[in-house]
Amino acid sequence: MRKSGAAIRAGNRRLSPMKQLAIQGALLLVAAFVLIPLWGLVRIALDGSIKSVPTSFSIWPQEITFKVFEQVWKTPSQSLSFPGLLRNSLLVAGSSALAAVVMGASMAYAFARFRFRGREPGLIVILVGAFLPLVALMTPLYVLLESLKLRSTLFGLILVYTAFALPFCIWNMRAAFQSVPAEMEEAAFLDGAGPLATFLQITLPNALPAIGVAALLAFLTAYSEFAIGWLFVENSQNVTVAMALWGIITMGSYPWSQLAAMAILMSLPVVIVFLVLQRALFDRMVFGVGGE
Amino acid sequence: MNKKFLLTLARVLLILLIAAVAAALRLRAVALLPVDYDEDDYLRAGQLYAQDLRRGDWSVLTRENYRTEHPPLSKIVYGITLLNLPDFPLIPDRPTTAGPDTTLPKAPLHAARNASALFGVLEAALLALINPLAGLFVATNTFNIKYTSQVMLEGVPSFTSLLVVTAYLLWRRKPRHIWLVLSALALGLTTAAKYYYAIAGIAVAAHWLVSAYRAQEAPWRRLRWLAPLLTWGCIAVVTFFLVNPYLWPDPIHRLAQSITYHGGYAQSAAVTSAHFPFWQPLVWLSMSVPWHPGVFLLPLDMIVTLLALFGLRRARERHPVFLLWLALALGFLLIWPTKWPQYTLLITAPVAVVAADGFQAAIAEPLAAWWKRLRAHAARQQRQARGHAALSHFWQVFPWLLPGLLALTLITLFPLIYQLAMAMTDFRGSAIKDGINGGVWREVWMGLTGQVAAREVDIFNLGGGRQVHYTGLNGLINVLFGAGELYVFELVWTVLAVATQAALGVAIALMLHRPGVRFKSFWQTLFILPWAVPEFVAALSWSQVVEPRFGFLSLAAKSWSQTAPGSLPAAGWQENPNLALIVLLVAGLWYGFPFMMLSARAGLKLIPEDIYEAAALDGASGWQLFLQVTWPLVFPLLLPAIILRAIFAFNQFYLFTVLNTPVITLSALSYYIFSDGAYATSAIINVVTVIILIGLVLWFNRLTKATEGVSYA
Repeated sequence: MRKSGAAIRAGNRRLSPMKQLAIQGALLLVAAFVLIPLWGLVRIALDGSIKSVPTSFSIWPQEITFKVFEQVWKTPSQSLSFPGLLRNSLLVAGSSALAAVVMGASMAYAFARFRFRGREPGLIVILVGAFLPLVALMTPLYVLLESLKLRSTLFGLILVYTAFALPFCIWNMRAAFQSVPAEMEEAAFLDGAGPLATFLQITLPNALPAIGVAALLAFLTAYSEFAIGWLFVENSQNVTVAMALWGIITMGSYPWSQLAAMAILMSLPVVIVFLVLQRALFDRMVFGVGGE
Repeated sequence: MNKKFLLTLARVLLILLIAAVAAALRLRAVALLPVDYDEDDYLRAGQLYAQDLRRGDWSVLTRENYRTEHPPLSKIVYGITLLNLPDFPLIPDRPTTAGPDTTLPKAPLHAARNASALFGVLEAALLALINPLAGLFVATNTFNIKYTSQVMLEGVPSFTSLLVVTAYLLWRRKPRHIWLVLSALALGLTTAAKYYYAIAGIAVAAHWLVSAYRAQEAPWRRLRWLAPLLTWGCIAVVTFFLVNPYLWPDPIHRLAQSITYHGGYAQSAAVTSAHFPFWQPLVWLSMSVPWHPGVFLLPLDMIVTLLALFGLRRARERHPVFLLWLALALGFLLIWPTKWPQYTLLITAPVAVVAADGFQAAIAEPLAAWWKRLRAHAARQQRQARGHAALSHFWQVFPWLLPGLLALTLITLFPLIYQLAMAMTDFRGSAIKDGINGGVWREVWMGLTGQVAAREVDIFNLGGGRQVHYTGLNGLINVLFGAGELYVFELVWTVLAVATQAALGVAIALMLHRPGVRFKSFWQTLFILPWAVPEFVAALSWSQVVEPRFGFLSLAAKSWSQTAPGSLPAAGWQENPNLALIVLLVAGLWYGFPFMMLSARAGLKLIPEDIYEAAALDGASGWQLFLQVTWPLVFPLLLPAIILRAIFAFNQFYLFTVLNTPVITLSALSYYIFSDGAYATSAIINVVTVIILIGLVLWFNRLTKATEGVSYA
């Protein structure tokens, strides 16, 4: 992001120490708000003294141990180890994000570049689709997949998550294509490239980072989805991390430490990706959704 | 001259017609409604007056006021009504919490009900005088019909409170003293009939003061306004005492006793055990009277409330006093702990006026504009011709659309259509075989082609059996118009969630935007954390904080209460909808503020520094600078993010499932219902969700187009 001269000048100005202190204090309070629930999770996961539920109040773990993490890594569910669950999660989330992007790309391009009859209503349909909650597609997909005998398979799950991600990805990719300057395309056109070649060689590479962000968001949604999966999948080999986590909760008297450890294991990869890609997300996502 | 006469005649006839509708609906209710709570109380109060008045003993008015917590005017009206009827055994004195007394004698009950209904009719007719449509809305309002057609205290004050406002408005238009006196008299009567309704008077006074303050006059000239206001207030107070003879012997003590009762009552078990959330008044507004099926013929209430939402902006210009009345009364109802359904009569009239404005703004004017456009034929053809020139050739675009169109149709649109079909059946767990093997399509096809009739359906219990049946739009209509409670919660939740998230996000962004603040990128990275965590895990980490028995908070409260006396109410929030909402808002705030913070930071970076310097030169500072410079510039940039978060909050699901709260969103409800096997009901809720989302998207589209022209580069 280009920094304006004014912003640089402003950066040199000094705050009075009192104001600096007040602002840092306020930010510290927010930090406490942010960290309390997360720390609670970490504490419970690390505390070896908790047998099933925590019974006394403490800020620090009574006896620090990684035993729970080990246990969760080996046998998080009845049938699969954590790597097995993770494999399912990555497969389902990755395939659905990829499928949504691949199937939606050309349509997004058409909406970004061409004027055609039915474009406006089409955009509205896509936007409504992008805003649908996953639950809104659950009922019909359940029956459709059941009749195709796909309901309990990983492929079925991929279909469900793709159906959910597709309108969202089309909408975001459209914005990505629109942000590529039309002059670049016109130049390629003048050099004699056809529409497909122009799209593949000029527009697509330039829009790729933004498309990546759209795919990432679709991936994350599928990665942390458990509710639909829990209702659809009965085959214990096809369980994802999120579903296994929900499985522990629905068992009733669940051990809190295991739950916390598994939640942390599940979040770590995502959090790392998020923090690494912070800048790209920050630039792309904030205004990725807007009008024309 | 002649035309004017005809117009006046038409107007008078219209008002009479509306009064007739109001009267017919209320007479029907008088005859059909069963005896309700409290009717025995007020009938007894009237009877006590009537017995002594018949003997010429007028002192009973100063002696007697059965149910002293409410002032006596309505009860006196009932007493006068009963004067000409034969006496009947005295109705027993029972506690307020006692159930309905079904043994009440018919004749006096109906006479008293008729007297109350008369005031309901007068209210509708008076409002029709101002705005016929609003009059019609009051005439058909089911809560108004019910509670003015029973021996309650609502009839008289709901009429007189409207008179307070109407007379004041007439005075504003043509300052004759008679109107002012009438308004003051009406306020006195209102207060002597039921205290709460005096809010109309507060609204009048507030409007009066605000318009005096706004008038660009020298301060001493403003005092000229004060004199009539004070006179108005004095007349009202005097009237209140004159028509409240019970106060005469011992004014201060009896008045204090009567008023202080209400605060205690609001804390009593009778009220708190009802477990109404603070937004319950909105729930009452969103529905017709749910009891007594078959009594109310024109239940327009939900549509009226919806129209009122659309009329707010227009009402601000056209009917500011009514809007003020509505805002004050609604604010009071939301705060006041007692949430009985009859309290909605406090706002029936202003809601009707605002709804009439909404009808103009959302229906009448767009229709007129559309009609105008239809007639401007030539212009339309011209526009079409221009449009054609810009269109790409269909076959040129088609290949690009094909893959996406196929996929979208197969896995998103087709399921949605299938869902609509399911919503028109009673498809459920026990009939899953039939449904999967084409039963849904078969039934819908036969239903739409008229081969089978639509069945009545109970959406809460779809029944058993192995076959799917066609139910038409019955289920959909049931949910669409019968689920006010859900919509109101969605509204309250979405608005509060987005407001809190935006407030915290913008506040942090402003702090981080200050030049010279240390550790900016550290803080920002830390604050992004909640957003990076999957929502499921976010909900889990809050659940281990607020879990009623073993949660962090409840354990902390326990260890606190061991060292200090008294206990903290950390547990039990799951039974209390208000506390549950707070817990949800806090968790939602935690998860949602980073997004708003990032959006606000991006927006703030686009504001040129020079503007601040210019504003600073003008002497603006701190809060002023924010309100007058920063916020107006940032808000349009923030709008897409706000709408995005609003729709996200509207759809929020994982938070509700994991925290297991008593109040839920449509999508969470749909999920629970689906997992119980009531597929059709779940499909119906989803169809409703889609309908609401379409409305939101159209609105969103209009808003963002309106902000399109804004640029700061």
